[in-house]
Amino acid sequence: MENLVYIALFAPFAGSLFASLFGMKEREIFVGVVASILIFISFLASALLAANLYMTGEVIHVRMMDWIAVGDFNVGFGFVVDHISVTMMSVVTLVSTVVHIYAIGYMDHDRSFNRFFSYLSAFVFSMMILVMSDNFLGLFIGWEGVGVCSWLLVGFWYHKEDKPKEENPSISPSWAANEAFIMNRIADLGMLIGIFILYWNTGSLRYDEVFAQLPYLSETVLAGAAIALFIGAMGKSAQFPLHTWLTDAMEGPTPVSALIHAATMVTAGVFLVVRSNPLYAMPEVSGVSMFIASLGTFVAFYAASMALVERDLKRIIAYSTLSQLGYMFAAAGLGAYWIALFHLAAHAFFKALLFLGGGNVMHAMNDELDLFKMGNLKKEMRATWLYMGFASIALAGLPPLAGFWSKDAIIETAFNEQTYILWFMLVVTAGMTAFYSFRQVFLSFHGEDRHTPLGFHPHEMYTFALVAMFPLAVLALITGWFMSAYKVFIYHIGESVQYEMSEHTHHLAIYLGLLVIFIVLASIAYAYMKYARTGDKAWKRDEAKEQGFFYKLLKNQYYVPKFYEEFITKPYSMISEKFWTGVDLKIVDATVDNIAKFFYTTGDKTRSMQTGNLSNYLNWMAVGGVILLAVAAVSAIFM
Amino acid sequence: MENILSILVFFPAVAGLLGFVVTKESIRAYGIAVTLVVFLLTLWLWFSFDMNNPGIQFVEMIPLIPDFGISYYLGADGISLFIIVMTALMTLIGMASMGETKNIKNMIISLLFLEMTMIGVFVALDAIIFYLFWELSLVPMLYIIGAWGGPLRVYASIKFFLYTFTGSLLMLVGMLFMAYIYHNLTGVWSFAVTDWYALVLPVDYQIWLFAAFFIGFAIKVPMFPFHTWIPYAHGQAPTIGSVILAAILLKMGTYGFVRFSLPLFPDASVMAITPIAVLSLIMVVYTAMIAYAQKDMKQVIAYSSVSHMGIIMLGLFAMNAEGLGGSIFQMLSHGIVSGALFMLVGMIYDRRHTKLLSEFGGLASVMPKFAIIFGVMLMASVGLPLTIGFVGEFLVLLGFYKVSPMITIIAGTSIILGAVYMLRVMKLAFFGPLNNEANQKLKDLNARETWSLVPLVAIVIWLGVYPKPVLEPINNSVNALLAFMDEKAITKEAKDMIHVSNSFESGRPTLSIAGGK
Repeated sequence: MENLVYIALFAPFAGSLFASLFGMKEREIFVGVVASILIFISFLASALLAANLYMTGEVIHVRMMDWIAVGDFNVGFGFVVDHISVTMMSVVTLVSTVVHIYAIGYMDHDRSFNRFFSYLSAFVFSMMILVMSDNFLGLFIGWEGVGVCSWLLVGFWYHKEDKPKEENPSISPSWAANEAFIMNRIADLGMLIGIFILYWNTGSLRYDEVFAQLPYLSETVLAGAAIALFIGAMGKSAQFPLHTWLTDAMEGPTPVSALIHAATMVTAGVFLVVRSNPLYAMPEVSGVSMFIASLGTFVAFYAASMALVERDLKRIIAYSTLSQLGYMFAAAGLGAYWIALFHLAAHAFFKALLFLGGGNVMHAMNDELDLFKMGNLKKEMRATWLYMGFASIALAGLPPLAGFWSKDAIIETAFNEQTYILWFMLVVTAGMTAFYSFRQVFLSFHGEDRHTPLGFHPHEMYTFALVAMFPLAVLALITGWFMSAYKVFIYHIGESVQYEMSEHTHHLAIYLGLLVIFIVLASIAYAYMKYARTGDKAWKRDEAKEQGFFYKLLKNQYYVPKFYEEFITKPYSMISEKFWTGVDLKIVDATVDNIAKFFYTTGDKTRSMQTGNLSNYLNWMAVGGVILLAVAAVSAIFM
Repeated sequence: MENILSILVFFPAVAGLLGFVVTKESIRAYGIAVTLVVFLLTLWLWFSFDMNNPGIQFVEMIPLIPDFGISYYLGADGISLFIIVMTALMTLIGMASMGETKNIKNMIISLLFLEMTMIGVFVALDAIIFYLFWELSLVPMLYIIGAWGGPLRVYASIKFFLYTFTGSLLMLVGMLFMAYIYHNLTGVWSFAVTDWYALVLPVDYQIWLFAAFFIGFAIKVPMFPFHTWIPYAHGQAPTIGSVILAAILLKMGTYGFVRFSLPLFPDASVMAITPIAVLSLIMVVYTAMIAYAQKDMKQVIAYSSVSHMGIIMLGLFAMNAEGLGGSIFQMLSHGIVSGALFMLVGMIYDRRHTKLLSEFGGLASVMPKFAIIFGVMLMASVGLPLTIGFVGEFLVLLGFYKVSPMITIIAGTSIILGAVYMLRVMKLAFFGPLNNEANQKLKDLNARETWSLVPLVAIVIWLGVYPKPVLEPINNSVNALLAFMDEKAITKEAKDMIHVSNSFESGRPTLSIAGGK
């Protein structure tokens, strides 16, 4: 079994190294094929480990080697395959396999094809370290590793130039990549602090050892660690106010957005909270958990509201990711860790499907993303239409698709915890989700054909890419059916993940579910009426409405990016410039130079004493003698 | 090879003298051969080093002026061992990668003399010998900046010389006073550092002596506000000068703190934690911001160097094995990474004769190899896990967290601000469209350049993944140092501080102190 652990972990790494051998060479299809096969092998290993765990219930622990050991600090490369990590491993490798195969088709015209696969596989490797590690520092390796891979992949088309914000809100791929990296680093500092707190209070960073010590820690320590780790989670999972990078990260190639910025990396924050569930479940930190739930709910609503008016296909999906991450945090914050994890898995499948469908549209439309320039694409792209429609139903949360089960459980949890405000916001957000998802489907695939007059000649994606997407569609359908089986499986991990609804909620569950379904259906119907019809009732762009206050507010992302630019980026440059020219050169350095000049000029001035004239020298000698006598006299008096 | 350290010190010097008779054509190969031999000797030193012995090894002692207790006294412990290895490595690689052709003979000879003085500083255990090498190291560097530098080279080299010289004079006064006290207490003169270690000084003496040494070391590090010589020195120095300066010469300052200030003045050191931490914070944040404002690529690296030295200073005063060990590891890491970054900037300067960021853009498409190696070094510089840069920075912050969480959080912004200025360089120089015509025909790294950088890349990853071979001896020596300081401290505050920073919150003392000396 140990070998399987290493195979699951290192197969993607081998793929990355293999692809990097050809990094600077011409495009070679086999590079993509080999990388995909290796990821698939990793998936098989993960699936076998999952099956083994399911049958025997035996958690596998391996310690590969030492890493950092100084003083009492000793952390090694150790990996654990338990119920939580095996869930993540299976989801990550499965989605990665699909995305790898898909990318062979999507990237086939790119001259940096080989380089792309080396980055993409490196990402999977980092992600596997992140989820498999048995200690916080190992998790941090993966955490930073996925950050770098995300940086490389968002900025993959590095040669594109910067555009003004009005033209392209994310400026350029390299700008977006830097923004993502730096914003994540801010959060990473929080995470490091969390690690420091845990180390100095428990003497270890291994999950089991740290969690075993939790009951002996004071409230401040627990709260400090919980807050600091959550700040880390906020960055990776793009929670407000560190969320702006996620939509800008859509500058990367679409397979990247599907894999990294929807299905896997952005869920790392949720994973961290779920992984640390014994910490967050401590009664002493219930305030922090409540904050997580509230923030999650807020982000769910906030992101959904921005998606309502967005015209950019990928940005809409990015907002929906943000919003769904909010749902996951809401569940985790309320203590329903396993439901959060389950929604994470279900979301990974249907969101990756949705994104890859979006990739098909981009491929067909020559990278055009403006929904207003599409319309009636279902004529040319039937399979993509079906996939995206299907994924949108799953996202909107209609039974029997995956999104229904997992999202409904989260909404139910909010009701069960008697946090009715959260419950209400989550229900409203579910309606908004349905509306914007179908607005996007209808604007692109239904209604009047707006693309042909603009000179677009869309074509369907390669068949093998469409076939590769099929497993995701199947999973988007069936995942929800295994919810109760999964519950039994994950309950083995310990008491703190177990979450049951109260009797009262159980009775009301059916009505609550029906209410949500009703709201979702009504939203879809409204979207249909508005965007899907043709002829006289066809949707027309309303420029006047786009000038309205709320529309502009949402379109500009509540002016948060603008705020960051005006109040953080620009002042930072300005202060830096001032520090350099105003302080460092004019004050610090000038002082040094002035001291040197003082000696130089006094030396220069006093040089005039050296006349070579003996009587002058005698005069000076007399002066000196008087001064010395005076000093002697004064000191004699006062000492 | 009992006198391996003497060989290490004098072999480059003798070879440098012989270099005068080598022809101009073969001097380069000669220089590389000599530095390679020195490097191999340092490797031998490493392998024959007893890892379990935290004390000083390879000791050589020849009395020079017995009346004044001045002797030729050399030795190496786990702390200096790797700095010596790194010195030899960076001299070798810097020389191998050098693109300079003007007066190459003088350059090679200067470098060999410089190597002698640098190794001399790190192996000297007699204060006078230490001081001698310390000051001698200024001369070749003065010459390198002054003869091969940019337009402002004379100003820069004189500033470098006078500034550091002034500081070291104060240090010399401190040393003389130290020997005078030793004489008063024991009746004999001695400049041997190990003899001085035995002295238990009253706190007020410690403070004054600490201050004198501090000035000498702080200017060298360079600590804020004594750092302004460094942008000029780096700005004007030729590539090889900057590589040596950043990689090794700056480490002489931080090494001085470990060798002299901490063990000689434990109480004063503990009292100095807060002021030094504040200066370090200014170094970390303020110079990182200045680095962001730079228009010249090399100046970004120069200021980033100061910023990273701030982290090293912080770690030295964490008073625990995590912080101190991490700090020493970070010295090595910074030596390798900043050296490599200066080499990279030099390579682009050789091609375009400019270092202005505005002149570049889109280089990644014409110079992919260059961009990749720069990217790796960038990631090491911003402290990415599994690169060499993470281990030291992490340990320093971890260690100092025990001393002061607040200061650590502010110092931790280094991981953010570092990314900010380095990614800006990456974006401006390597990304974006390739608009400037002068850049369109740039050649990627040639074999010489590639092969001088590849070993550094390998080290960056090797020690990032498996730092144990280096960390272990450092750890032993650091634990011994801390146990020694604990034993020697006279004030209760200092003792408490060392105990607190070495124990977990529960008050359980750590093994390092309990099981120490």
